[in-house]
Amino acid sequence: MCFGVETRVDFVLWLDSDVSLNILMCLNDPADVACDGAVSHLWLRFGFGTLILSRGLRVGCAMETHIDFVQWLKTDVSLDIMSRLNDPADVVRAGAVSRLWRQFVVTNRLSKQLCVGRFQQLSRILRITEPDLNAPEPKDVGSSNSNWEYLKREHEVYASLLQAIESSKSCQNDCIGYAVSASSTDYPDESIVNTLIPMDKYLNSPSYWSSKGHSDRNAPETLIYKLKADLCVITEVCMKPFEAYFQPGKPIYSAKSVRFRLGHRKSLREESDLLKMPQQQPADDKFMWTYTSEEFPMTQEKCLQRFKLPEPVVCVGGYLQILLLGRVQRQEMDDLFYICISHVRVVGLPLGSTFDVKVLEPSQEFVLNYNRDVFGCTLQSFSNRGHQDSNVAPTLSEELVVDAGIMEFFLQNHHPGFELMGWGDDDDDDEEMEEVGIL
Amino acid sequence: MITLQSSDKDVFEIEQSILIQSGTIKNMVEDDFTFIPLPSVDTETLIKIIEYMKKHADKTDSKEKNIKEFDKDFMKKTLNELFALVFAANYLHISSLLELLYPSIADRIKDKITEAIRQIFSIRCDFTPEEERRIIMDNKWAHEGTEIEGTLD
Repeated sequence: MCFGVETRVDFVLWLDSDVSLNILMCLNDPADVACDGAVSHLWLRFGFGTLILSRGLRVGCAMETHIDFVQWLKTDVSLDIMSRLNDPADVVRAGAVSRLWRQFVVTNRLSKQLCVGRFQQLSRILRITEPDLNAPEPKDVGSSNSNWEYLKREHEVYASLLQAIESSKSCQNDCIGYAVSASSTDYPDESIVNTLIPMDKYLNSPSYWSSKGHSDRNAPETLIYKLKADLCVITEVCMKPFEAYFQPGKPIYSAKSVRFRLGHRKSLREESDLLKMPQQQPADDKFMWTYTSEEFPMTQEKCLQRFKLPEPVVCVGGYLQILLLGRVQRQEMDDLFYICISHVRVVGLPLGSTFDVKVLEPSQEFVLNYNRDVFGCTLQSFSNRGHQDSNVAPTLSEELVVDAGIMEFFLQNHHPGFELMGWGDDDDDDEEMEEVGIL
Repeated sequence: MITLQSSDKDVFEIEQSILIQSGTIKNMVEDDFTFIPLPSVDTETLIKIIEYMKKHADKTDSKEKNIKEFDKDFMKKTLNELFALVFAANYLHISSLLELLYPSIADRIKDKITEAIRQIFSIRCDFTPEEERRIIMDNKWAHEGTEIEGTLD
């Protein structure tokens, strides 16, 4: 090195770290150590940070104080530590400790990483919005300030979302909104809509969905439902196969096994079409399924069978598909295999009021809209609902004698546009209805 | 045998087979170094590191449970000691020790209210009261219902 004028060199900048360290190791006064650490960011971070830390720790030990590791450790080491926090509340609380911690937690997107790491389905969320804000996406940012605002919001929303999901584990709400379609239907009054009703008899007529008959026992069927909200946490699906009590031998037309898929509709345009479309037509091509469960064996019993998902799953988009794999029961009359289901129930938690989702085409990614004000109330109600028992659909109970008026109302709410078909002109007793088909 | 020298100039002679758990030392050994100065690791921390490596050198199945017990006890140290270990293990590239240290340190932050975290790390809150209030209100649910738990290290 050659200097015309005698200037002093920042040796920490110019010498090897080891050499600088050896020089600085000669400092014995903690005050020197502390002061020198404050000389510049370079002195702090590059190599000298090593010394500061080890000396600082010993000084600290002597004085019984602890270091702020976010300040003193290298970012990737601090990240390794912080990423071990797996409770969203911890991440939020860490983000409130000091300006430095807040910046660390927010800019490193810890809350998003935690949320998406736990629920892969959420990785397709492209950005977060709030109803009354028009924040730009982080990429087309003019100022770093709006980027910070976006990251802050992202931090809060993902933490809240994860908290909502975690709280849902104790909730046992019915998540089915309405029936969309079945891959096949035998007679019009054996519609998929009947599966929304827990009883297998309604107004003296049997209430169930039936597939068309098939000579191949491996021919599958699918049922598609819209859930109550665009964002739902699903913990289990319950299904009750139908026992044809009016046939000799009372055959039970269960499937051999079932599988579940969750996803969203491919195109926004088709939303209204789905409501009008005949439920007897398959609609599988209109959806993109982002989660597929394992296969669950079904037993040939006319009880409500519970298929619990190994982990709660987030359904982004609000649609459920049930795959009915394999048939076990032949109908005596025509020697064909059928599948008949009398009731379907989806258990979990709809997050509709707080979060809603919009699908972007053609990328099939999502925009998550967050209703901040609602969230507080929602969380409160989670803790209140925690101890509620499994519920039947809201307006029905075992003892209730259902009359056409209530049923029509119920069905209208779950499937707009559905009209009650002309069953039940008979004089049979209401009592008979209570006997049969009670869960 | 390899000689390690701490920042305090204390020397330790250890078998090579034990020391190669440290990626850094392994590299130096492969370059035929037998004397390795470690200016960024003080004696106290180096003693602990050596203790850890000795225990983990023999990883036969029968010792598995033994090692787990040792690890659990090994983590029962003050936060400063743990940070010193993180620092040294990072420099020495002992990934198994780091994997043990990270969750142990994170555990000291878990389930603590923000004020408790500040106390543990002697961090001064540099938000204005108004700022702090707003931050808490933004995610109110996270700040409720917790107490200062455990003993402060």
